[in-house]
Amino acid sequence: MLVIRIDEDRFIFDVPDVLRQTVVDLASQLDDELEADNPNLTRLFPTAYSDDPEKDAGYQILARSELVQGRHNSLDTVIKTAEDDEVDAETLDAWMRVVNDLRLVLGTSLDVGESDNWIPAPEQEHTYAVYQWLSLLLSHIVEAQFAD
Amino acid sequence: MTAPMEVVEPGTDEEVDVDRPWQVLVWNDPINLMSYVTLVLQKLFGFSLEKATQLMLDVHEKGRAIVSTGTRAEAESDVHKLHGYGLWATMEKAEG
Repeated sequence: MLVIRIDEDRFIFDVPDVLRQTVVDLASQLDDELEADNPNLTRLFPTAYSDDPEKDAGYQILARSELVQGRHNSLDTVIKTAEDDEVDAETLDAWMRVVNDLRLVLGTSLDVGESDNWIPAPEQEHTYAVYQWLSLLLSHIVEAQFAD
Repeated sequence: MTAPMEVVEPGTDEEVDVDRPWQVLVWNDPINLMSYVTLVLQKLFGFSLEKATQLMLDVHEKGRAIVSTGTRAEAESDVHKLHGYGLWATMEKAEG
């Protein structure tokens, strides 16, 4: 396991350097892009009121800036703790959110399908390999947090 | 919450229709991992592993699941937290 729970608030973070660097590189890019009007970020800021555009506009005004700030904070935590071998629960939560957000952005750009039979086009192979790598890291981060 | 005894006529200020609760839905998507959805539901709502797993399976197999109900403000707060974790959540008035 890449992440192992020590106790309620401490986790061994035994993630390979090359994988940490990949996350940090992508996190830095996302940090610069969060305020941009980028269609690949759609899944980070979903619609709340699917059947009421007026109410949703109100939600977006209030929620969007908080969601952006929360993501900046998580990205910042990941970049600052990129070399740590042990992390607390809050830091691991930030890593989990960031790795998931990166999967959402890459998955949106790839337009991945639901089926296990979905295969990337030849020009998508590199991005899809990174996406799968992030999936592996995320599953380790998640599993370490389940109670038993 | 009990159902309102009087039907609120359409066209009046719908904000006065406070008795019909709002429900928060999580929708299936091809990106989020099943284990991730289960853990986030446990973290945000304090569900048991069994309940969170069942809701996640409902999302995966039926396309969506209701994860909470409450006032509009409570539902909006829950949607906001779910969006913070990248889950595809929406809210709507409970049928009734």
